[in-house]
Amino acid sequence: MQHVRVQHELVSALQTISYGIIAALAMFLFFRAGSLPTSRWEPMSAGAFPRIIFLSISILCLLAVAVDLFKQGWPKLSLSHAMHRLRRLKLVLLNLALFIAYVVVMPWLGYIVSTFAYLLLAQATMIPKRLTRMMVAVAVALIFSAGPYYLFADVFNIYLPRARLAG
Amino acid sequence: MIDAFLVALNGVIEPYTLLLMAIGALAGIVSAAIPGFTITMAIVLTLPLTFAMPPLQGIAVMLSVYVGGLSGGLFSAALLGIPGTPSSVATTFDAFPMARSGLPGKALALGLWSSFFGSLISIVVLILAAPPLALLAVKLGPWEYFALIVFALTVIASLVGDSLLRGLIAGLVGIGLATVGPDPLMGRERFTFGYEMLSAGIPFLVVLIGMYAVSQLLSELETSPKQQAQGSTSLISGDMRPHNLETLKAIVLRPVNVIRSSLIGVFIGAVPGAGSSISNLLAYDQAKRSSSHPENFGKGEPQGVIASESGNSSTAGGGLIPLIALGIPGSAVDAVLMAAIMVHGISIGPRLILDNPELVYGMFLSMAVASVLMLCIGLLLMRAFLNLLNVPKYFIVPVVLSCCVIGAFTLNNRITDLYLLAGVGVVGYLFKKLDYPLAPLVLGVVLGPIAETNLRRAFQTSTDWTLFFTRPISAALLALAVASIVYSIVSYVRRSQQAGVPDSNS
Repeated sequence: MQHVRVQHELVSALQTISYGIIAALAMFLFFRAGSLPTSRWEPMSAGAFPRIIFLSISILCLLAVAVDLFKQGWPKLSLSHAMHRLRRLKLVLLNLALFIAYVVVMPWLGYIVSTFAYLLLAQATMIPKRLTRMMVAVAVALIFSAGPYYLFADVFNIYLPRARLAG
Repeated sequence: MIDAFLVALNGVIEPYTLLLMAIGALAGIVSAAIPGFTITMAIVLTLPLTFAMPPLQGIAVMLSVYVGGLSGGLFSAALLGIPGTPSSVATTFDAFPMARSGLPGKALALGLWSSFFGSLISIVVLILAAPPLALLAVKLGPWEYFALIVFALTVIASLVGDSLLRGLIAGLVGIGLATVGPDPLMGRERFTFGYEMLSAGIPFLVVLIGMYAVSQLLSELETSPKQQAQGSTSLISGDMRPHNLETLKAIVLRPVNVIRSSLIGVFIGAVPGAGSSISNLLAYDQAKRSSSHPENFGKGEPQGVIASESGNSSTAGGGLIPLIALGIPGSAVDAVLMAAIMVHGISIGPRLILDNPELVYGMFLSMAVASVLMLCIGLLLMRAFLNLLNVPKYFIVPVVLSCCVIGAFTLNNRITDLYLLAGVGVVGYLFKKLDYPLAPLVLGVVLGPIAETNLRRAFQTSTDWTLFFTRPISAALLALAVASIVYSIVSYVRRSQQAGVPDSNS
């Protein structure tokens, strides 16, 4: 019960912070939209609609912050609990980092090599360390890296990225 | 009209199209049967495969995936007690106890036949409702269209998730994302900050894949593989025969339940933002309330399975009504279908049915054919699906993520879209963790440019802003938008008073 309460408080605090961040970003874009040139051909310029939207976002976020503060007071953010939650998400963070690295290196290594490496490494972070499972992981990586590449190239005439390093 | 119908029929019953549709229905069932893999993900990943197909063939395949997906959640719901998709939550209530009591075959057959009848009923309503609504929609001006989008977004924001404020913020953030890139009327660049990858805007499908697929797959990793292994249930053994005759009798001899549940599904499907995840629960609730033996519900009652499965499958036809008649997608899946049609250079809106009747009739026919294929494949491969439920996440998650990359890349053949995909995926995951509903955001991205275009056109026609409130349809839609917000606030206050526990803001 205590754990659920702390968890709820953490999410609430992070939600309040997120409203602040979104409101700040929206206000920045609101002013940015104001600098877009107006048109003599139409009453609403290119910046008018975004200004309405970003102003509405800011107002709603500020309203949400006010409601949160009224109901729950100042956000109680326990740093130790936040770190504990973050540690529990290490598999997610690891896989997210792998995914980002995968898309970043794809132009250089090409689809086949980068996908093979990504699939192998991502499975390796989760798979039970047994020889048979590892062999299946290699097979899965091979099939789902080369397979889609040739399927798209030969059947649909769509070419997935080729390696820049290969010239 | 007959010519268009025959052209559509010729396109749909072509053997190659039927083969592709069968593969699509199978893929839909398989994907929805795997817990954590949603119908939206399946349909998003199907899209790039349809680029090279003719429009009708591509749409037919995607509708097959959709129809298959709506019934696929039944397998994990009945055999593991885990809903494969949110649309099969109510199915677990009775299908799982029925399967546990030694009748897994009957539970699955009941679900499949109910899905089939639910789909058929929804197609009939779609055929009856969409064309007249489209004829009416052609007469709508930009004021009415803008009001319609405001109404759609407020309904979505108030129906999805726990908080109206977060729903509205998410919807507006989606519209805000859609303002990046060239403006829809003059093509003037906005918010690109000198980055070339933003100059064409943020593609809607990249947002959709990132928000739904990437964030959902990352969430799946929160349960470690060890926990997953410990939590896995042994497969159910028992009579796997479908008992088709007995099953059909249970449905056809008591038609009120299947018709009522299907109509609930159609109505919920037609309301933007609602969908199969709500309709199955509502249909189940109504079936239980009107049953003479409500105490049997939750213990393997066949009428419970029928209500849930016909209720969720019939949302497919319902969701197509606003898409075909008004050009407004009511759900993420409908938005992908819209994108699939637009990729082929066909514009979506009320004129779709007038300018491309063969495509619209083809959609009706494809839905019917897909329902038959779903039923046949489901009944024939019932036993094989048992094995699917045991595919571990450590294979599924990375493989599907790599498929997301293919989907995002093949859309425009731009490597920069992959960077956007990763960025949107991270934002989507954070939004999900902070309990922001994703559906309003994604639909905001789709509806934003339509809203802006109509608002600016309205002011180009007349600078009198009171027209939004004096034109009857526009005023009625805006009044409905306000009513949906008020209703949402009132029901939240009531819930809070009943529970006595304050949640974060409503």
